[in-house]
Amino acid sequence: MTIEINNRPYDLPDDARISLLDFMRERLEFFGSKKGCNQGACGACTVLVDGERILSCLALAAQYDGRSVTTIEGVANGDELHPLQALFVEHEGMQCGYCTPGQIMSGIALKSELERGAPSNVSSDLTVAPRLSRDEIKERLSGNLCRCGAHNGIIDAVAAYVGGEEQ
Amino acid sequence: MTNIKPNSSSHKSDPNRRQVLAGSAAVAAIGAFGLPVGAQTTAAPAASGAFASLGVPHVRRDGAEKARGGAKFAAEYSYPGMVYGALVYSTIARGTITSLETAEAEAAPGVVLVMTHENAPRLERPEPFYSSPTGMAGSSTPVMQDAEVLWNGQPVAVVLASTQEEADHAATLINVAYEEADAVTSFDVAAESAQTSFYAGRDLLIEEGDAEAALADAEVSVDLSFNTPAHNHNQIEPHAVTVLWKDGILRMHDCSQGVDLSAITIAKVFGISSAEVHLSAEYVGGGFGGKTVWQYHILAAAASQLADRPVRMSLTREGVFRICGARAPTRQRVALGSDRKGRLTSLIHTGTTMKIENNSMTEPFFEQSEHMYRADNMHLEIRAGTMDMLANTFMRAPGAATGTFTLEVALDELAERLAIDPIELRVRNEPDVNPTTGREHSQRASVDAYREGARRFGWVPRSGQRQGYREGEWQVGTGMAAAYYPYKRFPGGAARITLDREGGALIETAAADMGMGTTTATAAVASERLGIPYDAIEVRHGDNTLPGALIAAASQQTAAIGASLTAAHEVLLAELASLVPATSPLHGLPAAELGTAEGALYSLADPHQRIPLIDLVAWSESGTVSAEGQGGPISEWTQDWSMHSTGAVFTEVRVNSVTGEIRVPHITAIYDCGKILNSKLAESQFRGGIIMALGMTLMEGASFDERNGRVMNPSFGSYYMPTHLDVPHIDVGWTDIPDPQAPTGARGIGEIGMSGPAAAISNAIYDATGKRARDLPIRLDALM
Amino acid sequence: MSYISPTKIDEALEVLSRGSGKIIAGGTDVYPSAQLGQHPDFYMDVTRIDGLKRISVSKDIVHFGSAVTWTDIINADLGSAFDALKATAREVGSVQIQNAATLAGNVCNASPAADGVPPLLALDASVELASRAQGSRLLPLAEFITGVRSTVLRRDEMVVGLQVPVPPSTMTSAFEKLGSRRYLVISICMTAVNLVLDQDNRITDARIAVGACSAVAQRLPALEASVIGQRPADVEIKPEFLAPLTPINDVRGAAAYRYDVVQEQCRRAIMQAASR
Repeated sequence: MTIEINNRPYDLPDDARISLLDFMRERLEFFGSKKGCNQGACGACTVLVDGERILSCLALAAQYDGRSVTTIEGVANGDELHPLQALFVEHEGMQCGYCTPGQIMSGIALKSELERGAPSNVSSDLTVAPRLSRDEIKERLSGNLCRCGAHNGIIDAVAAYVGGEEQ
Repeated sequence: MTNIKPNSSSHKSDPNRRQVLAGSAAVAAIGAFGLPVGAQTTAAPAASGAFASLGVPHVRRDGAEKARGGAKFAAEYSYPGMVYGALVYSTIARGTITSLETAEAEAAPGVVLVMTHENAPRLERPEPFYSSPTGMAGSSTPVMQDAEVLWNGQPVAVVLASTQEEADHAATLINVAYEEADAVTSFDVAAESAQTSFYAGRDLLIEEGDAEAALADAEVSVDLSFNTPAHNHNQIEPHAVTVLWKDGILRMHDCSQGVDLSAITIAKVFGISSAEVHLSAEYVGGGFGGKTVWQYHILAAAASQLADRPVRMSLTREGVFRICGARAPTRQRVALGSDRKGRLTSLIHTGTTMKIENNSMTEPFFEQSEHMYRADNMHLEIRAGTMDMLANTFMRAPGAATGTFTLEVALDELAERLAIDPIELRVRNEPDVNPTTGREHSQRASVDAYREGARRFGWVPRSGQRQGYREGEWQVGTGMAAAYYPYKRFPGGAARITLDREGGALIETAAADMGMGTTTATAAVASERLGIPYDAIEVRHGDNTLPGALIAAASQQTAAIGASLTAAHEVLLAELASLVPATSPLHGLPAAELGTAEGALYSLADPHQRIPLIDLVAWSESGTVSAEGQGGPISEWTQDWSMHSTGAVFTEVRVNSVTGEIRVPHITAIYDCGKILNSKLAESQFRGGIIMALGMTLMEGASFDERNGRVMNPSFGSYYMPTHLDVPHIDVGWTDIPDPQAPTGARGIGEIGMSGPAAAISNAIYDATGKRARDLPIRLDALM
Repeated sequence: MSYISPTKIDEALEVLSRGSGKIIAGGTDVYPSAQLGQHPDFYMDVTRIDGLKRISVSKDIVHFGSAVTWTDIINADLGSAFDALKATAREVGSVQIQNAATLAGNVCNASPAADGVPPLLALDASVELASRAQGSRLLPLAEFITGVRSTVLRRDEMVVGLQVPVPPSTMTSAFEKLGSRRYLVISICMTAVNLVLDQDNRITDARIAVGACSAVAQRLPALEASVIGQRPADVEIKPEFLAPLTPINDVRGAAAYRYDVVQEQCRRAIMQAASR
């Protein structure tokens, strides 16, 4: 039973009750993924599993045996921030910083979802590739709550990242 | 009647305009207002242009670390042997614990301690706010000291175990039996015996003239009732603490808004000196008034002491709802009387809220009504009923958040009856001096904010007729409201400046940064004051071993830091003067005749006479020059001046005529808050308040089971807050006129955003639909 | 407390026959629905069982394995009769949840506000169950869910998949949901409509289901019958057609308001389905 996190293998815990989030935070000290609600309602714990975003608080670690997880700690290139990380700083896409890792992981996944043409619930037509409108970006990021109110900066940062335009 | 086009250029999102704003809002705003550049502050001469940092939109200093996921929060410090805490909460509102069965939990895997009132160490009652100058606790309710239960959710047992899973499981094995007592858990019942209350050292009662008689005699009047529910801060970081007792020191990694006051309050509970508590909070995942001292800190420290193990106590989201207080519900009456020209003859703002026996926090919802408008007769009064509930507490813009909602809706209704434009009505009642204290305004440009907001939003003046129109099944309307928040500066501010050999400076202050950008703003203020480049300034904060007893509350921390830096700078000048060699023309000059700029000490009388700071530092014995200063008397706002920030909020609202869905596609807000120190961070602060207010208006509210006082929606899945899709691009601006009485010219920006949007939205809903929404949140079915 | 991840159905049924465990697929409801600190004897993960992650289409049946996620549904090439189900998929929680949570899990949790149930009712879906003791059985979805958070699933039994009779190729569908914010919201009410129109733009087949307005989502047979032969724009939704609904007053909305909104949702969903 092993799981890969940021390209390194780790033994899964014996205790099957442990969520993927708690496993990363409490056993491996990957504190970048945050625990906001522990029930899938805030998105602060968002990670990528084989490139797809999931909520690590709603996952048992054991479910992800053999899978590859990417966390916020795994997206920068050494000291050089990931482009979306840099855009969050530039656009003031944060205040307290607690929801930030989840927002960024969602933003990274969002770009590949858009590139694949996956529709969202604001896409007016299921059959046409979604437009890169601000509403489209907002919809796809709406699973990530922010309480400080950095929403405008977050959307600005993600829009710049995916090359989106104003409506 | 002219309809406003929904996407007219005046309130369409325009990225270019935002760029202009972010870059040079000061110039743009003042230019647009046609006002002279503001008065100088009382501060010492500012550094010259080369190192000017105030007003520069520096990116936040902690941005990269936060974006990396490397910022460490309270629950992210680890110690060898650390165990995890879980709490068991009472399920009754009031009564006595008759039995506690803990054996099964104690025998469960991994458990190292079960603590209840039977084995907890003896502790003093915590000092709540206003009970002493350092009280930082939500209430003085004893912490696990006896069998008495005072609210539904009170912790009755703590479990420590090797893992969180083991602690959580063992907590489910504890059986508690109670003998229930009668409890007041209904706001209606509590309201029946409500008494005129008090807040921050004064009674919440102001009477001038005979407001009721004036209302009865008024040529035009409105008399309205409003309801607002309890609101939770819902910081995305749940409250947490990591505790270690070692070498006689209680070490706590906390998420405090005021590290020093938290440490003092906790020290007193344990009967130790505050020097024996080392409490730090470098990163705090949102505060909004709620990250103060609650029972979890004390329980974690007590259990850690008892078990002799380091402890991590992270509250569950439900736990936060059960033991960390929130904004109290209110019932308000606003009655306004005026003559036909709209001059207020009577202003009545009264109502009821709740508190508990063991706290002194009464939601002060009439504060804006004291300071915003001139009225011949006033009656302002807040009564509080006592409930057997979790202590209510401060939440972003206490008082003004809901009080501005009610006052500003009432003004809108009055404007309609008078057939006067809502802005014009406010202008006609703009006070020359403070309406209740009679003091002069230190600086007030409310009317400029109203007018500039109207211009930027594209406000169409109205005189009694709705301007709303229909677009398909959507009803579209616009509304405005004023915003208000007081200037404050609390005592206790202090800072230390240490100059190093490389020409840089270290600023140390026990201030908190919950994300506002305190360290970034502090570095800018220090750079300007010292004449040292911004990038050469390091700031340490969030640790009670640093100077000062600051608190990030009431939007006053930046002022407190500014005053502290000014004081520390004066001490520093004296230190530097003592290092000036006898051969220098500066030798013998007193500190008052010296300044620092461009990395040098200079003579105020002859600025060409200067000595580089690095030379002075090199000549010092220790190789550093350090000076500490304290913020000084706070009389500017407590005795001398009327110091208040104001603003104007404009919204466009669309209401679906079929489903009642409400959308807010446009918000423009202009603030008169003194000088803006960093436009990038300021925009975000204003928007943050506006978005929280948007939530308050349309969706937020904690529900309680009135039979037993239990909160019914203790989760993000049931207590809704705005998502990205609910939030429009928000256009914000400011007058940027420095307040000559505020230490940095800035009056504070953290909370005013919370004041105004609710009324502006409600007023816009009326404009769209003809229906007045006077209860929050405005439910979809309220408009059907 | 253990975690079991069988790869064969037989193996899974054997595990279930042994004791009291909880079946998980995406696992997204384990924590929200469990009392903190309380766990079953074991979790059995069905996502690695052969074939359960597949959507397969035969001549008569579209089969959704019980490990099929909402994202799998969004990405699948299904006919226009499944547009409502796809629209639902994009409303279930956040994208993060859609990537893990399953259609079968949504049905098994049996929340009155479960987004998946109305469109599945409108598709005449059945639930395929299996146990070691009694083999397999197929139940109409309406019989599977018996009340709030309650189903007929036996302790030793699992949902293997959902079956939908292949709809007419001309069938279209639409889904309407209303909440008090725009995302991540528990529905105030929601409506799914599946329609077939003839060349004269008259309705020849209609299935209309409403969720969050009764303990279990309901089809509206009287409304369905009344619209046959009508053009979508002429449809009249009389209050008596909503008789199966029993909406309540709660913090999200008053019962009378829900009645009003459901009528409007039905009208909109019919128009929307008809326009596809």
